[in-house]
Amino acid sequence: MRTRSKAWKALLAAAALLAVVVAAATAAADSSRAAAGTLVVDKSFDLKTADPQRQFEVTGGIVAHVLYDTLLEFRGSDVATPRPSIATGYKASKDAKTYTFTLRKDVRFSDGTPLTAKDVVFSYRRLINLKGNPSFLLGGVTSIGAKGNYTVVLKSKTPNPALPAIVANASLGIVNSKVVKANGGTDAVGADKTDKAEAFLNRTSAGTGPYVLKSFNTTSRVELTANPRYTGRRKPKFANVVMRNVLAPAQLLSVQRGTNEISIDLSPDQAKPLFGNKNVNVQAVAGPNIWFLFANSNPKISEITSNKRFQNAIRYGLDYSGSVRLAGKGSGRAAGVVPSQFLGALGDSAAIEQNLAKAKAELAASGLKDPEVELEFPSDFTSSGLSFGVIAQKVQADLAKVGIKANLVGKPIATSLANYRAGTEQLGLWLWGPDYPDPNDYLVFLPGQLVGLRAGWAAGSDATLEALGRKAGSTADPAVRGKLFKQLQTQLNQRGPFFPLFQPGQVVAASKNLTGVVYNAQFQIDLSTIGSK
Amino acid sequence: MSTAQLPTPTPAPIARYRFRRPRIASAWRQPLAVIGIVLAATWIVVAILAPVLAPDDPLGQNAAPLTPPGSDHLFGTDELGRDVLSRVLFGARLSIPLALLLVGLALFVGATLGAIAGYFGGLIDSIVMRGADLVFAFPAIILAMVVTAVLGPSIRNAVLALVVVSWPAYARVVRGLVLSIGQTEYVTATRLLGASARRALVRDVLPNVAGPVLVLATLDLGNAVLLLSGLSFLGLGAQPPQPEWGAGVAEGIQYFQFWWIGTFPGLAIFTVVLAFNFLGDSLRDILDPQSSWRAGGEGE
Repeated sequence: MRTRSKAWKALLAAAALLAVVVAAATAAADSSRAAAGTLVVDKSFDLKTADPQRQFEVTGGIVAHVLYDTLLEFRGSDVATPRPSIATGYKASKDAKTYTFTLRKDVRFSDGTPLTAKDVVFSYRRLINLKGNPSFLLGGVTSIGAKGNYTVVLKSKTPNPALPAIVANASLGIVNSKVVKANGGTDAVGADKTDKAEAFLNRTSAGTGPYVLKSFNTTSRVELTANPRYTGRRKPKFANVVMRNVLAPAQLLSVQRGTNEISIDLSPDQAKPLFGNKNVNVQAVAGPNIWFLFANSNPKISEITSNKRFQNAIRYGLDYSGSVRLAGKGSGRAAGVVPSQFLGALGDSAAIEQNLAKAKAELAASGLKDPEVELEFPSDFTSSGLSFGVIAQKVQADLAKVGIKANLVGKPIATSLANYRAGTEQLGLWLWGPDYPDPNDYLVFLPGQLVGLRAGWAAGSDATLEALGRKAGSTADPAVRGKLFKQLQTQLNQRGPFFPLFQPGQVVAASKNLTGVVYNAQFQIDLSTIGSK
Repeated sequence: MSTAQLPTPTPAPIARYRFRRPRIASAWRQPLAVIGIVLAATWIVVAILAPVLAPDDPLGQNAAPLTPPGSDHLFGTDELGRDVLSRVLFGARLSIPLALLLVGLALFVGATLGAIAGYFGGLIDSIVMRGADLVFAFPAIILAMVVTAVLGPSIRNAVLALVVVSWPAYARVVRGLVLSIGQTEYVTATRLLGASARRALVRDVLPNVAGPVLVLATLDLGNAVLLLSGLSFLGLGAQPPQPEWGAGVAEGIQYFQFWWIGTFPGLAIFTVVLAFNFLGDSLRDILDPQSSWRAGGEGE
């Protein structure tokens, strides 16, 4: 009896001790986090490398964006106007073939070395010669030269007015040429085989950005610490940043629980429980992807879909606002093929609106009786939490109201993508995500171009549009270029085989105490601008 | 196995009738059997009368999307504004006939191959049964996924794929029965009396094979519904906008907070599978002398 009560007491004491220890540990963990100022970012990783000239993934872009400054940068949610960063500005030649960038003189790498034009030339040449995923960004550039220590000149064979926007891409971040060379890096031709700097850059960063790399793991976490020698505009507010590889449902939980937490992978529907949560700020804004339907203009693929009147029947028959609603919170109407954030985007008022009477009249004028066509889409693919099957069913129902029977043909993406690329789909439902935030990336929708051909739109099908496209694509002055792209899209909307539907919403959820959390269509989120109240 | 069949062929028709009648009644009077019959009958009626019963067009995007269940829409509406109840009811028209077709085809292929293997034996037997073993070596759904991936996703290909994976069960059972019954004395006796091999097979072997195979087929019906909806769930079976149950559950997963989209098709699958399992079990109790004797003797 006595021993038992003793045992009880001991047990109780132990339990109490344990409770104290646990409480203390939790408190310590909390206070250490608050003192050190650690920002936690949850993202489901598509991470391959921390080498800026090798990465071209979303996660890699977020990391590289704060490790390596670029000559120009986009700020806030804007992706239409590249602003100064390492460069104070640029001058374009009238023919848009030569771009001259003047560099700031006070820029230093994280090891203290001053940045010069040599580093820029090295980084750009390395990007091209690594022949990696982002190498195409400088595909049009034929010469990269330095004039003195603080001037860089880029020359292209053909007009390249997208260059300022391209230069702002995280893959064009400037690395410390001396350090990278010392660790096996090279910018010479054949760098794809001889460059050995990737392993080094996965351990240590060699940039001028607001943060430096502390640890890097492509499958679990990336840790960053503030760069004490940072000289630029984007002063880091948090001393440490941890990016964790977390799937969306788990992100949903952790962002509701903690402080200093950001979740950037939720689809508008997944984020629904967060709207109305007092501890979380949720932003849902239209992302840069454009979902569109096309009707094949090649009569060999379909006599029906290539009929211009039939295409008009689709154009005016689609319930665009219904599709936007389906796409979820934050989604916006795609007024033209160029996303709303970009230079030259059409306003919503210029978008085609549903007009069933007109659609039916066009169908009657087409001479087609009870047309029946196939609508292909990738059946196993979702983007922004949205499946193509849902939108395809919506389109099918819309077309049925006009009197067009569209048979849904869902195929695994490997098959449907091959058909799409081969231009054999009668009606196709796809999306276009930008390679860089510039309207030039959307000239592919013109006749004879990449996506145009996929819709059976051969070169020479529309000489006016093609000429307009050439002009818009080679004008250096952004204001004029913007106007030309608006004209181009207005005409494309009226007579092209493409029917832009919507831009699905992107959700960024952040703890209430965080400030400066802004979604950007190019780099998603700038970790350096985030602070806490 | 082979010894148990010995007494069955000899009793006179009248004696057999008297002997069986109470057993049939008691087996069908079991609660599970009653539930099975009622559920299965309900679903079959629903499949036949779907156009009359459904309040709305299963493909019509007529209502406000994502309306919760209520008086206007008993099961709510999905993300495209379609009535979930109508889609579930019309789903029966897809799942049940296809399950019947699938089991029928698998039974035909499997029983034929099994009978050939059992009757001829030797090399043919080895070839057929090793083929069956090969199919058995893979999990059914994985193999079916491979087949649909090759043929392309559609409900027809899903049925074909499931036939490919389900015939060996029948082949094995039929082969075993044909082998054992073929060696029984009454078959030997018939043959000695001058009956042809064909007559022996049809008159003596077949009736004894039919019972166990029927049980297997009934049990398999539930399984077939499950596999079909499984393939549709994975996007390899029914294609949109077909109102298929598995596809409905998949749709519901994308809109998890709107529970009604996935729950009701899921319940439909659940009840149908349950019904055919209960039916199959009861049928086995009635047709399989071994299991019913044991059931009577040991009070199982």
